[in-house]
Amino acid sequence: MPEGEVMEIPPIDAELALAEVRARRAEVVDANLVPGWFWPSIGVLMLLFVAAVETGRPWLVAAGSVAYALGLATLIAALLRRSRVQVRNTLIGAHGAAAIVVFTLVLVGLGVGLGLALAALGVPAPATIACLPVAAGLAFGGPALMTYLRRVMLARPLAGPR
Amino acid sequence: MSAEPRFDELIHAPTRLSIVSLLTATEWAEFKFLRDQVGLTDSALSKQLATLEEAGYVDIRKSFIGKRPRTSVRLSPRGQQAFAGHIAALQQIVARSGLAVIPESAQP
Repeated sequence: MPEGEVMEIPPIDAELALAEVRARRAEVVDANLVPGWFWPSIGVLMLLFVAAVETGRPWLVAAGSVAYALGLATLIAALLRRSRVQVRNTLIGAHGAAAIVVFTLVLVGLGVGLGLALAALGVPAPATIACLPVAAGLAFGGPALMTYLRRVMLARPLAGPR
Repeated sequence: MSAEPRFDELIHAPTRLSIVSLLTATEWAEFKFLRDQVGLTDSALSKQLATLEEAGYVDIRKSFIGKRPRTSVRLSPRGQQAFAGHIAALQQIVARSGLAVIPESAQP
């Protein structure tokens, strides 16, 4: 067929083919999203670790650190085990990347800012208390971020920017 | 920049369209992922991938994770270009017919 010429197939077949492409993209995106259980798990782990460190008791700090390291390693290993595909970076795009950066900065800013403020006010266990909204932000915000990223990735043009 | 519409019969075959559609959304995909998603046997998928590889549309990489062999597949730049042209051709056919009423960006 000469270059640039479009072979004529029935329009319904073309539409069905495009629907297939969209459905397959959704499968890839869904296989890539961080699962819901990850977010509260990481929040609880972080909270326990900060609380253990803040006690200042050496044995508790040591136990908390070991538990945190083991827990984190287990979570990451579980994530990697289910990862059989890597979504194309261009699908996430600038909006998706910005959402991830903003999500991270908000949680870090919230935790550090609240912790410093509580410490300045002389509140006991400021880091642990400051970690509570961060853990909640991870538990609830993580799935919301995934929902947003899914929408962004599925809305990209089918042929996609390269 | 949109691609030049170019209907690609190699890609349009139903099984290969599914495979290339999965690959176009990925940086790489494991052989097993493709097999499970498309619902093919190992040998049937190998045959389809060999056809795509001969056309220069995919790159196949074999590696080991520990002692386990792992086969990964990715769409080559040539494959990406062909897919983009094929999508443009399909969209042109649909647009000419006035069949599509839902804009692409609004579809799930």
